[in-house]
Amino acid sequence: MIATLLVIPLTLLGMQQQDSIAARLAGRVTPDVATLVQQLSVAASARGLPVDPLIQKAIEGSAKGVPAERVATAVRWVAMQLDTAAAALREGGVVTDTLVIAAGEFAISAGLSNHDITALARTGASVAALTVGLRVAGTLAAMGVPSAENIGLISTKLRSGRPPGDLLLVPADVQSEIARGVTPAQAAAGLERAAAAQARHGPPPGRDNPPPHPPAPPHP
Amino acid sequence: MRPEPEADGEIVRAVLAGDRERYAQLVERYRDRYARYAARMLGSADAAEDAVQDAFVRAFDQLSQCKEPDKFVGWFFLILRNRCFAERRRSRTETSLEAAETVAAADRTEGGAETAERRRALQLALMALTPDQREVFVLKHVEGLSYGEIAERLSTSVPSLKMRMHRAYDKLREQLREHT
Amino acid sequence: MSEHEFHPLVKQLLDGDITLAALPPELRAEGQEALRLLAAVDRTPVQLLAISQHVMQKIAVRPLPERSVWRRVVAPREVRLRIRPWLLAPALAIAAALILFLRPAPTAAPGSLITVRFVLVAPDAHEVSLAGTFNRWDAHATPLVRSGPTGVWTATLTLAAGQHQYAFVVDGVRWVPDPGAPAVDDGFGRRNSVLTL
Repeated sequence: MIATLLVIPLTLLGMQQQDSIAARLAGRVTPDVATLVQQLSVAASARGLPVDPLIQKAIEGSAKGVPAERVATAVRWVAMQLDTAAAALREGGVVTDTLVIAAGEFAISAGLSNHDITALARTGASVAALTVGLRVAGTLAAMGVPSAENIGLISTKLRSGRPPGDLLLVPADVQSEIARGVTPAQAAAGLERAAAAQARHGPPPGRDNPPPHPPAPPHP
Repeated sequence: MRPEPEADGEIVRAVLAGDRERYAQLVERYRDRYARYAARMLGSADAAEDAVQDAFVRAFDQLSQCKEPDKFVGWFFLILRNRCFAERRRSRTETSLEAAETVAAADRTEGGAETAERRRALQLALMALTPDQREVFVLKHVEGLSYGEIAERLSTSVPSLKMRMHRAYDKLREQLREHT
Repeated sequence: MSEHEFHPLVKQLLDGDITLAALPPELRAEGQEALRLLAAVDRTPVQLLAISQHVMQKIAVRPLPERSVWRRVVAPREVRLRIRPWLLAPALAIAAALILFLRPAPTAAPGSLITVRFVLVAPDAHEVSLAGTFNRWDAHATPLVRSGPTGVWTATLTLAAGQHQYAFVVDGVRWVPDPGAPAVDDGFGRRNSVLTL
């Protein structure tokens, strides 16, 4: 019975895909790390998880001159975070694809919890929108926005039904607010209030998303 | 008059402020708290030592992400748990070699060789479960938590835990029958 | 498989919800088998006396846990960039302004390409390059170009919409996250900068 279980995952990951993983790793990681990544990729792929984050982390660690053992630990850690992200997304009712799982893994690596991921999933946004939402939420976490304000803002944006590209403007908006002197938490909370108000009443008069003007270059 | 032991939150804040030596206090305080859980999850005390050590180092790296410093131990448990789950499925030979190590230590337990043999067999059988199944079994029957307590800690529901556990019981029975 | 399944009542026994006496006679033997299984559980406490020293040795050489990239800008500690205070504001202005300027229309579809300019102020550096997920973390693949004595290093890349991580490599050896960008733990004790397009 164990032999049967071993055979199944290998056939799920086609020979062609295995070859391309080997090609990406060749010359960039030690043979031990390459073997580990191949094994983890087989297992990950069988569970519907993306394989790219594992390969990226292995190449990154090796490029940074990190000892192979530590690279292996980091790659395992990414695999574990991918599982956590996938579980959190399914908990929120999402039919997962590899892109949204990868976005969830990024959000977790930036410091969000599986509960945060599930909360965003429960907004009912499309998988495409949720993917962008998770990337942006992770970016905000990396900017120092605490989870509550972060998830609050992104959830409001996801529920507003506006195009996912709007979410990409959020980090820059938060950054502008912070530059005016408020904390990351206050910046996010303020933007959430504005977004909620906009959802109720429509955009304020006179503002229709004009393209940003390039500022004059600074004089060094 | 003895001074109150310092709250975890104080120590965490001190470390974040730059006093890294204070982290040793947290390590001393909690190094054995989940050692047994890790040992039963991973199959040996050696593996548990590695896992707990790695978890403490990881917790240090991510200390600024500990949302409630006063509840450090709960947050640390999740890091350790993730580390235990990250151990990939090991071959049966590896697992049986390690379980054999614990037998040598268990020879000194009361009940002698027969008890030691039964413990070894059960630990081996536990390693054949999925990590999720093994975990609920360990938390309830080794650590003595109730289903409600486990549900709260793992942020899941009692019914889903029971379902997992009942599958674990059946798998354990099957494993023990096949290998004794 | 059903011959290996415990009877539901025996599972309740295992859960501790009922006692052996509550089982009907035909299930007693199975109940006793179940209790023998539980009796084999090893509850011996495990002590890890040696790890305190090992943990403290490992963390002795690691950077202190710190989160905010904003703190890093105000007090850069790990790199000899010597960003003098009066240079900080324009550097930020450059980084922030360019990202805004080069931002695509809000409805950029996945698969579209976006031009991004990367800037690092490093007057004392001899070479600066860019390494990230978009160039396989190759520290030699994307050198930045220095513009004059002010030590402003620049590179312009065209990247696909999506998520990217990167860092600058100063003088071929020092990996430095972008002071003007959000940063995440790289899993190796350092930080990567994040670019979400």
